[in-house]
Amino acid sequence: MPSTRLGRALSSLLPRALRRDLFEPAVHDLEAEQLRQGRGPVSFGILVLFLECWRLAPVEVLSMFRNDLRHAFRLLFRDPAFTVTAVLTLALGVGANVAVFAVVNAVLLRPLPYADADHLVILKHRDRGTGITKEFIAVGDFVDLHARQEAFESIAAYDTFRTVVYGPDEATDASACSATPGLIAALRMQPFAGRNIDANDAAPNTPPVVMLGYDFWQKRFGGDPKVVGRSIKIGVTPVMRQVIGIAPPGFRFPAGAVTDVIFSKSAPVAPAGGRKNGWVFAAARLKPGVALASANVQLSALAQQMEKEHPSENQGSEYFAVTLRDAWIGDTRPALLLLLGAVGLVLLIACANVANLLVARSLGRRQEMSVRVALGAGRRQIAMQLLAESTALASVAGVAAVACAYWATPALVSLVPTSVNLAAAGDIRLDRTVLMFAAGITLLTTVTFSLFSGLGLRRDNTAGRLVSPGRVSTGVAVRRATSALVIVEIALAIVLLSGAGLVLQSFSNLLSTDPGFTSDRVLTLAFAVPPDRYRDGGARLALHQRVYEAVGALPGVEHVGAAAVTPLTGNNWTVPFDRADKPTPAGQRPPDVGWQSASGGYFRAMRIPLLDGRYFGSEDGPAAPPVVIISEAVAGRFFKGERAVGHKVRLGSDLAEIVGVVGDIRRAALTDAPRADMYFPMEHAPSTAGGLFIRTAGAPTAIVPELRTALRAIEPAITLRSVRPMDEIVRESVQVTHLALWLLGLFAATALVLAAIGIYGVMSYAVRQRAREIGTRVALGATPSSILWLVLGQGARVALAGTAIGLLTALAAGRLLSGLLFSTAPGDPVVLSAAAGVLLATALVACYVPARRATRVDPVSTLSAR
Amino acid sequence: MSKRLPRLTHLQFLVLGLLQKGEQPGRTIRDTLAAHGVNRTAPAFYQLMARLERDGLVAGWYEQITVKDQTVTERRYRARPQGERLWTEARDFYTAIASRGVQARWSDA
Repeated sequence: MPSTRLGRALSSLLPRALRRDLFEPAVHDLEAEQLRQGRGPVSFGILVLFLECWRLAPVEVLSMFRNDLRHAFRLLFRDPAFTVTAVLTLALGVGANVAVFAVVNAVLLRPLPYADADHLVILKHRDRGTGITKEFIAVGDFVDLHARQEAFESIAAYDTFRTVVYGPDEATDASACSATPGLIAALRMQPFAGRNIDANDAAPNTPPVVMLGYDFWQKRFGGDPKVVGRSIKIGVTPVMRQVIGIAPPGFRFPAGAVTDVIFSKSAPVAPAGGRKNGWVFAAARLKPGVALASANVQLSALAQQMEKEHPSENQGSEYFAVTLRDAWIGDTRPALLLLLGAVGLVLLIACANVANLLVARSLGRRQEMSVRVALGAGRRQIAMQLLAESTALASVAGVAAVACAYWATPALVSLVPTSVNLAAAGDIRLDRTVLMFAAGITLLTTVTFSLFSGLGLRRDNTAGRLVSPGRVSTGVAVRRATSALVIVEIALAIVLLSGAGLVLQSFSNLLSTDPGFTSDRVLTLAFAVPPDRYRDGGARLALHQRVYEAVGALPGVEHVGAAAVTPLTGNNWTVPFDRADKPTPAGQRPPDVGWQSASGGYFRAMRIPLLDGRYFGSEDGPAAPPVVIISEAVAGRFFKGERAVGHKVRLGSDLAEIVGVVGDIRRAALTDAPRADMYFPMEHAPSTAGGLFIRTAGAPTAIVPELRTALRAIEPAITLRSVRPMDEIVRESVQVTHLALWLLGLFAATALVLAAIGIYGVMSYAVRQRAREIGTRVALGATPSSILWLVLGQGARVALAGTAIGLLTALAAGRLLSGLLFSTAPGDPVVLSAAAGVLLATALVACYVPARRATRVDPVSTLSAR
Repeated sequence: MSKRLPRLTHLQFLVLGLLQKGEQPGRTIRDTLAAHGVNRTAPAFYQLMARLERDGLVAGWYEQITVKDQTVTERRYRARPQGERLWTEARDFYTAIASRGVQARWSDA
């Protein structure tokens, strides 16, 4: 202790370690030196020493912390059971979070691979009448929007489709993006080699050009730079196109699709047959300083303007822009955030479990800590040591978690169905942001655990007394804290269990939904033939007839038909419905109904029931008068109380007779309401591309080899894609729900196990702590069953409290799930009761083991123990 | 001779070397180092000594001494066996390296 008052005062302002090790010996030296030299007070010198000590403080603290950390790692190795349990629990919790965050980061957070991507938008069209939003807009409207808008720097039309690239030996299927030069400008793409498509390439009568995607160039042309400048044959109707450039590596547009080739597209012009005669996709770049909201205000004003100018075509047509990221992410965002929330709950449960372990461990170490306090350790030192122990634990768990995530991330991505528009699925990896996230949550758990580690020590350390290990009793605060942790665990587990239950119920409802057709034993495939070989309708109809006959003759085939749209693939093309005898009043736009082009065999193959009239047949060929079939919903809406068959509908300038009424189907998705559809005969306008639907007597895929042979025999140049059973398409349409069910189920099961471990741990500890009390009860005549019920009762109280809180939270959180649910209420009482029942039963089983142990307590040994 | 690099910094080596001849006050050790150009502020010096104590290489204690009829406190130190052993190992290591260097120079000549 310094001899001067100033020395003592300054000394008291320093942390204990600095005071004891640095300041006091230095002050003593200074005082002795001053005495030797016969000088007076040494205030200035002491002040300098004081400041010097503070300068050295960070190094000293780090050095001490390093020692504490070394000690902490030794402790971890000394207690392998605790270490393995805690590290595994945390590694699973943190690892699952990191894996899910890696997906969230790639899809929602990482910048899109375009310069200044926040200013890129996709234009969308919404029909007020049907409420349907489409990603494509009418060509007539595009032309007007392009001419009148002032919010966008550039606005471009594009389209994506499959094409064929011919080589010297073989033809290769490729994905194409055809775009007006404005798109390349809007994306600010820098070519890897050659040049970009520009306005001159889209001018009329210019030689056709093409840009190749980087990967396609590598794969198909071996990365040969001489390809640039060469002409290659491309297209279903082959055309020689000059390769003018190579897109940069990783370029893809739209994001979800691989872009193999990019064509130039001439700027759309107002179609002659009507504004809605033709559709394009549209992308644009906002002008600098223009916000999305103000662009949407302008689009809305333009849509109203066009509605006034062309009421018969534009009534109810609204246009709006969404950012490129939002357009591509679509409904993936809420699902991902929900997943992140769910996996966050698993982490909380894991943390609660480890916190409980730490509290139990700290209670067992009270004597050790008391000895430290008795030997002069201050509160700060004890806290530092606990922080070091938590850091050691969390860092080991953090490394294990990143290892878990390294394995789990690809597994998670592989679970995502291909139909889900996961824009950046190929780029999901553990990058710096993800590792920072892992470090962040590890740090958070470290700090939290330090607090819990100190919980069991606080009182005794303050008193600094030595506690006999035989007489350790749990403080009320500690007991409450551990019970509270288990209550939180149970509540969170209930939330996850009920979430999984709701999604399970929803999935079950989806699977039991009648789509209006029978997908069982139906094979589907997409076909295309070179259009230049089947230029007129007659040739195409003949081709279709030959295909139907050849496929129909294959063994096991019951029915075969063709259609343009495959159900349950999200298609929502529409067509205006206008009764000829009750036309829509002038100046109004007829309401839209779903559009489908199908042959008569399609209805038979899909078993879409005929309710009235007839299916399409060979009598509806190109030369026959136009006919249509309507679905039950159209008949009910437009022909209430009348027979629809025989009536005529207006199709532009033509009239078409309704020849049949069929059942409604859920067209875009199983979650859709049954759709009002109008069918046009494929026989009347047979196309050179479409889908074949084949009903078989046995397994549909069994006929594939013979089918390919039969079709190639009819047309050797036919290309076949997407050959798969209709059942698979149905399953794929519910895969998002299936994935959510799978993951929520996994998280819920983990939560249940962790909660069971938590309650088991707490009850085991409680039984150990109450051994003397139980021994006394037994000595006073308590029966084993009364002891059993005593312990079970204590566990049940904790479980019931957790269940009650969990149910209330689940009711509130259920609304977040509503976007994923189908025909299931977020607060479904059956599901909530089942979740509560499962958890209570698990909790009671977890309590039973310690309760049984309590019944075997020997009163003699427990009461005689010190 | 140990083949491993000594686990002592040059400053720790110097301090332990000074303590080889017996216990000394901290002030004396610091003055001796300063006389050889190794200047450290008093807190920085005692930080070094505290680490040596924590690592079990030296033992430190306070003693009352009289300076001009007044009693003052000073901190004294002595090397612990572990410290002596490490210092000997380090000295032997450096000596061996140095002697090999000399031999090599003679053989080159």
